[in-house]
Amino acid sequence: MSGIIRTQGAQVGFNDLKLPGMWSRKIGKDLYEIFIGPQHPGSGHMRIVIRIDGDVIVEADPDMGYVHRTMEKLSEVRTWIKGIPLFERMAIHDACNVTLPYVRAVEKLMDIEAPERAKYLRVLLCEINRIAAFLYGFGIFGVFLGHSTMYMWPFGDREVWVELAEWLTGARLTHSYPVFGGVRRDVPAGFTDALRKAIRYMRKRLEDYRKIFVDNPVIRARLEDVGVIPKNLAIELGITGPNLRASGVKYDVRLNHPYEVYDQLDFEIPVFQEGDAYARVWQRVEEIKQSLNILEQVADWLDKHPRTPILHDKFWKTAPPLYKKIFEETGRAKLGAVYAIMKVPAGKAYERAETARGEISYYVESNGGNKPYRIRIHSASARNALVYKYIVPGHRVMDLPAIYGSIDYFPPEADR
Amino acid sequence: MGPEELVERIKSLLGDFAKDIKIWKNDYIEVEVDKENIEEVAKRMKEFGFDHVKDLTVVDYMKEGFFRIIYNLGSYDNFELSYYIVGIAYNIPRDKPVTKTLYYIYTSADFQEREAYEAFGITFEGHPDLRPVLLSPPVAELKPLRKDFVVKEDPEIITKKK
Amino acid sequence: MSGILDAIIKIITWPPLWQLVVLGLLVPLGVVIFILWFERKTAARVQRRIGPYHVSPKIAGGLQLIADLMRYMFQEVIIPKTVDKFPFIVAPLAALILSIVPVVAIPFTSIKAYFPIDMSYSLIISLALLTLSPLFIILSGWASNNKFSIIGGMREAYLITAYELVAVLAFLSAGAITGSFNLVDIVEAQSGVKWFIILNPLAFAAAFIGVLLSTSGFPFEIAESEHEVVAGAFTEYSGLVYGMNMGAAYLKRMIFSIMITVVFLGGWQPYTPGEGFIAGYLVPSIVILVKATILMMIFSFFRAVYGRYRLDQALDIAWKILFPLAVLGFGLGLLEAYLGII
Repeated sequence: MSGIIRTQGAQVGFNDLKLPGMWSRKIGKDLYEIFIGPQHPGSGHMRIVIRIDGDVIVEADPDMGYVHRTMEKLSEVRTWIKGIPLFERMAIHDACNVTLPYVRAVEKLMDIEAPERAKYLRVLLCEINRIAAFLYGFGIFGVFLGHSTMYMWPFGDREVWVELAEWLTGARLTHSYPVFGGVRRDVPAGFTDALRKAIRYMRKRLEDYRKIFVDNPVIRARLEDVGVIPKNLAIELGITGPNLRASGVKYDVRLNHPYEVYDQLDFEIPVFQEGDAYARVWQRVEEIKQSLNILEQVADWLDKHPRTPILHDKFWKTAPPLYKKIFEETGRAKLGAVYAIMKVPAGKAYERAETARGEISYYVESNGGNKPYRIRIHSASARNALVYKYIVPGHRVMDLPAIYGSIDYFPPEADR
Repeated sequence: MGPEELVERIKSLLGDFAKDIKIWKNDYIEVEVDKENIEEVAKRMKEFGFDHVKDLTVVDYMKEGFFRIIYNLGSYDNFELSYYIVGIAYNIPRDKPVTKTLYYIYTSADFQEREAYEAFGITFEGHPDLRPVLLSPPVAELKPLRKDFVVKEDPEIITKKK
Repeated sequence: MSGILDAIIKIITWPPLWQLVVLGLLVPLGVVIFILWFERKTAARVQRRIGPYHVSPKIAGGLQLIADLMRYMFQEVIIPKTVDKFPFIVAPLAALILSIVPVVAIPFTSIKAYFPIDMSYSLIISLALLTLSPLFIILSGWASNNKFSIIGGMREAYLITAYELVAVLAFLSAGAITGSFNLVDIVEAQSGVKWFIILNPLAFAAAFIGVLLSTSGFPFEIAESEHEVVAGAFTEYSGLVYGMNMGAAYLKRMIFSIMITVVFLGGWQPYTPGEGFIAGYLVPSIVILVKATILMMIFSFFRAVYGRYRLDQALDIAWKILFPLAVLGFGLGLLEAYLGII
């Protein structure tokens, strides 16, 4: 490498082509290298280095890590309970889904289980989060295809679900709702009625989305047969979530490894066979419908059952009488001091959950101390990042935003 | 299929390769193997139905002086197997962190091996593109997930003073 | 005193000056500002928002556009080190000028005294002038010396080859019907309800979509597509020069709208120009501009409905659908001329 420009020993760029005032590097005959991101309007907090021959991408190299927040390391120096607010920063609008497996893994190690009402409440927030996250993804997808209406509508409708979550938990995004042994709050009075109203509204809006976006001839032309992930390749790459199911694999953690009360609820796992970007859009629409069904059943259950404790006895019995009084009056369960000093028995546990973007898995190892020994997180977007390397080459440059949007990639979740 | 039945089947599948099999919390099965046999074990597991690497976990046992590399395998296609995660675990010495790649058997391990490379400094021989994926090269030099990399700030409030 | 005033009025209303500066630049600029406001407001209405509001709530945020214009005017113009300076500055200027020049060849009245130039071959001249400005967009992309600019410029080049033939053929079908390249004759031939949009809808459709293609209107906003090529050929521009670039596209669309109005929508019909400046020049101009503005409003409404096509799909549409459509329109024009419908 003759033309490497060096400043104080560090290599900062190349000047192979001897162009005045700019770096240049030979990458191959007739190839053109473009950096999409991280400050590019069509990328998230990530970079995709693509090499194009004419208008066709021949090589794509996803360069992640721009929002890496060292969660695995940080969790090793913080007590168990602090992991919850830490991990939900991965996907703040999907907070309940991404922290739930951590909470469950620790519960597994402690051999406790949340009371049934708490399980229903977790499912309630999980599905609210899931719908909100899907709508967020739709908005980003819409604007990537230049469809500004599809950007504004889902973001507006997402507000309905975010407000519901705020009413339930007190926070719009980072709820920290599930805690070891239960949840923090019970449903407020009148919540289920508002929830049913929101479900009715969302069903109506999905029809509107279909009219303006999903069945739009321009959008169909952009998405059909684009970014096709065949079934065997999807399995080989370990693609997950709606992207996997749109490729014809019937796999959903809620079905294959049921957690909380998903095995008692009646819902279907929609599966599409095409595996292209258009199938992934339909997949998400269908999944929102299923989530609405689940929410309806949860609302019915909550209406039928009176308020009972929402924390496991192990934690609740240490709560002072004042806390119990507050719970009876407002439904809020204040966390006792026991959480700050809790120790988790030594052992290993593996737990996973279906987030909006796919499967997230936690490997939790404890050595009996008040901090985790090792937590390994592998999130849905991190699994889906392989799509860029293996699926994108061969497509045109203009397909990149379509594929990016259709796999609903969320950089903070992938970078952890 | 119960976990015990699966353990029996894995035992008959792997034969002598499986040094030790443990069941953790009913759905996580840890199979201890040797570093030398890892490729053969992975091939057999893939044929058995565990079609992708759910995640690649490395645990640093600094006091004992080894890294434990765990390929947690899952199944998408087989409904019965998909309930379980099977961790194929083996140890490598801390002072010579070199092992073989499973990239050519499990493509889904691609980025995860790069992650283990940057965070622990473990070299996966044969990996075609072993670069840091999340960290920048100067940070990856520090091998941040090893236990001897100490996070400077200690946020702990409740700690006993020595 | 009155002599000087008369002289000033005479200079201003001198047809070439009047047409180029007032009808070509000032009025379209006003229309463009209105259209930008309209575009933002309708898109906002469709998307359940309010749109521009806080600047002057009483007139529905109309002054917001003036504020945005000021922002572009007073922003620092940054010229990067790596650009080729002369073409970098000249290209947007040339593109802007060339997008309004065609207006001199478009008649706004049937009275000969108010023609800026001779109208015998005005259809050909205006079309020829209209096809010049995209070359300078390619040039500005090339001069920017930026990967995204060059890709944007290349896309523009692809699109030129696609839409130019379509648009020219579609407009020429009017010549086929009337047997004349004189736009005045073409408008006169559309008296009553014999507008060419009714007589030759095929050519109108081709011209309409061709204009969308040529002016980066949705669903063909490809050359400046933000999510792939940042701002296409204009990536390196800032401030007033960027504003000029963007303005040129809208001005061009306005001129194209005027062309469509004259060729397909009956020009100043059903009004018949009378005697004098006001009845003979001003009123027919206003009729044409109102029709063109309505056309512009239709163009801009598409932003709320459509996404954008992929480049190869847009070229497919142009070559596989629009080109045959334009040829058919031309043939239909010839047939109508043969049957003597006009």
